[in-house]
Amino acid sequence: MLQGLQDLGAAYLSFMNPMTLLYGLGGAFMGMVMGILPGLSATLAIALLTTMTMSLDGNVAILVLICSYVGALYGGSRTAILLNIPGTAANAASCADGYALAQQGQAGRAIGIATSGAVTSTLLGVLFLATLTPLLANVALKFGAFEFFWLALFGVTLSGSIVGGDPLKGWLMGLVGLLLAQVGEESLYAYQRFTFGWESLAGGIALIPALVGAFGLAEVLMALSDPIERKIHDLTDSVLPRWRDLIQYRWTVLRSGLIGVFTGLLPGVGEDAGAWVSYAAAKAVSKEKEKFGKGSIDGLMAAETGDMSSVPGHLVPVLALGVPGSAPSAVLMAAMIIHGVQPGPMLMVEHPHFVYQVVAMTTLASLAILLFGLFGVRPMLQVLKVPRNILMPIVFLLCTVGAFAVASRLFDIYAMVAVGIGAYFLRRRGYEMAPLVLGLVLGPLLDKSLRRGLVLSDGSLEPFFTRPISMVLAAITIFMFLLYVPVFRSAVGRAWKAVAHGARGALGKSDA
Amino acid sequence: MKRAKPTPVDETEEPQNGIADSDSAASPRADLHDAIGWIILGVAVVVASLQMDRLQDRHINPYTIPGLVPGLLGAGMVIMGVILGTRSWMRGAHRQAIVRATPDQREWSKRALLAVILCCGYSVVLIGHGLPFWVASSIYVTCSILVFDHMSADPAKRRFSVLAVAKALLIGVLSSVVVWLVFERIFLVRLP
Repeated sequence: MLQGLQDLGAAYLSFMNPMTLLYGLGGAFMGMVMGILPGLSATLAIALLTTMTMSLDGNVAILVLICSYVGALYGGSRTAILLNIPGTAANAASCADGYALAQQGQAGRAIGIATSGAVTSTLLGVLFLATLTPLLANVALKFGAFEFFWLALFGVTLSGSIVGGDPLKGWLMGLVGLLLAQVGEESLYAYQRFTFGWESLAGGIALIPALVGAFGLAEVLMALSDPIERKIHDLTDSVLPRWRDLIQYRWTVLRSGLIGVFTGLLPGVGEDAGAWVSYAAAKAVSKEKEKFGKGSIDGLMAAETGDMSSVPGHLVPVLALGVPGSAPSAVLMAAMIIHGVQPGPMLMVEHPHFVYQVVAMTTLASLAILLFGLFGVRPMLQVLKVPRNILMPIVFLLCTVGAFAVASRLFDIYAMVAVGIGAYFLRRRGYEMAPLVLGLVLGPLLDKSLRRGLVLSDGSLEPFFTRPISMVLAAITIFMFLLYVPVFRSAVGRAWKAVAHGARGALGKSDA
Repeated sequence: MKRAKPTPVDETEEPQNGIADSDSAASPRADLHDAIGWIILGVAVVVASLQMDRLQDRHINPYTIPGLVPGLLGAGMVIMGVILGTRSWMRGAHRQAIVRATPDQREWSKRALLAVILCCGYSVVLIGHGLPFWVASSIYVTCSILVFDHMSADPAKRRFSVLAVAKALLIGVLSSVVVWLVFERIFLVRLP
C-alpha cells in the first residue's frame, strides 16, 4: 500500500517539468479540436498523434495520447450541444439535453456543466484506475490460454451486441475484424495466411492504418458526400464550469461516475455505453423525468460524467489484461507497445511503475481539460466555422501521413484507403466499426489462445467450459448470443419481470 | 443488452443522408443482398482455410493447423449470413419494390464518388512516385476545395473565379507546407 502511494507520488513528480506539461496541454488541445469536429473521433486523434509522437520519450508520448483521448471526448460535447451532432460517439447521449439547452439560449451553461462534470468524473475514475488495476492484474496472472480465448471472444461479442442497433451486424463486423487479423504470418509457425503471394501482406494489416481508414477516411467521405452543411448555435452566456450545478446534482455525478468506470471495465462496450447507461439510470431515479430530452441539467450531467469516467475505466483492462475496452483504448494500447511497454498480466511484474504513471497522466489530462474549459472554449469553437470543403481534404492529408508514418510503408496507405472506402460503404448500410476494431486487435490473441488451449487439453474442449473463469466468460458470451433468439429473449424478459415484481413485493411488505 | 436509445445521428435514421438506392441501410432488400455477400465471403474463407498447408512435414500438433481459426471464422460468417438472409426474407425482402433514387440521393452518391476518386488519386497516384509530398498534397487539397465548391448549393461558390482558384491554391499550399514542416522537421516523422 505504502509502496503504491510512493510510486504514485514519484509518478506525479516525474511529470512536473514545463516541457512535459506543455506536451500534455498540446495533446489535450489536439484531442479537443478533433473531438469538436463532428465525426473525427478520439480514435483518429490518438492514431494520428501516435505517429507524430514516435520520436518522443515513451512516457511523454503516452501522456500526449492520454491527454488527447480525454480531450477528444470532452471536446465532442461542444458539438453535441451546439450542433446536435455528437463530436464523438461517446457524446451522443449529451445531444438531447445539451442541444435543448442551447435552443433555450443556455449553450454556455450546458458547456459549463459539461466541463465541471467531465473534470470531476475523470478524477473519480482515476481513483478507480489506481486501485483496480493492481487488483485485476493479480487476478489476470491466473489467466491461461482458455481464459484469454473467451476474453477475446467475449470482447468482440459484447461490442457487437451493444454498439449500434443490430447485434447481428455488430457480430458480422466483429468477425470481419477477427478475419482481417488472420492475414499475414501467424504466430505459431510463421505460416503466411491469405497473403496470395503478396509480400507486403506478410506483415498483416497494421492496426493504425486500418483505424485511420475506418475512422478517418470513412468520416471524410461521409462529410464530403453530405450535400447539407450545418450551422452552429451562437454562444451568448458564460461557458465557465458550473460548480453550483455540480453540488446540486452530486448524486448524479457520483452514480454516473461509478457507472462509467464499471462499463469501462467491460471489454468492447465503448465510451458511449457509459454515457447511455448513466443517462438511463439518472432518468429512472430523477424527480424531474419530464425534463429529460428537453434540456435537463440532470440528464446532461449524467451523460457527460458517464462517458468521461469510462476513460480511466477502459484503461484498467488495457493495463491489467492487455484487452482494450474501446476503439480509442485499442490504439492507445498499440501505442504503448510501439513505445516498448507490453500491457497485460505481466505489466505489474515487468513495469510496476507504469500503472502509476498512467494514473498521473490521466490526472494531468483532466486538469488540462479544466484549463481549456476555463479559458479556451470560445477560440476553439472557431474550428467549427471552417467549411468542411476545406477541412476534410486537410484531414485526409493527415490520415495519409498517419497511415504511412508508423512503418514508412506505402502499402499501409493503400490498406488505409481500402479499409476506409470499405468502412464508408458498410457504415451507410448500418454496420458499425467499433466491433471490427476490437476484432482486429483481439484476433491474434483469440487465434493463439484457441490453438494453445487445444494443445494443452490434447484436443479436448472441456477445459474451455469447466475452468472457473472460463466457465463464467463462456456463459456470458453464449448468453449474449442466445439473447438474439426471440423465444429465449422473451423467456428472459418474463423471468426478469417476475424477479422485479417479487423484489417490489418483498420491499412493499418490509415497508408495511 | 441493447443500447438505451439510438444515437441522434445514426445514419440509418436519416434518409436524407444519402441512401443511394433501394439498398437503404435498414431495408430488408439491402440486408438480403448483404447476406448473400457474407455467405459468399464466408464460404470462400472456409474453402481457403481447408486448402491451407497443414504442415504435416513439420509434424505439428494437428490442433494447431494454421487454417483452424480462419475456417471457424468463415463458418461463423456463413451462419450469420444465413440468419441475416432469413431475417430479411421474413421481413419481406422478396416483396419489396425497387425504389428509384431521389435527386438528393443521387447528389449524395455523386459527391461520394468524387471524394473517393480524389482520395485515391492522391494516395495511390500522386503519393510515393517521386513527387515531393508538399507538392502532391497541395495539388490534392486545391483540387478538392475547387471540386466541392463547384458542387455547392451556393451559386456564388459554384463559380470558378480567379479569386476562388487563388484562395484554394493558397490553402492547399499552406496546409501542405505546414503539415510537412510539423511532421518532418519538428517531430522528425518520415513522410511519403
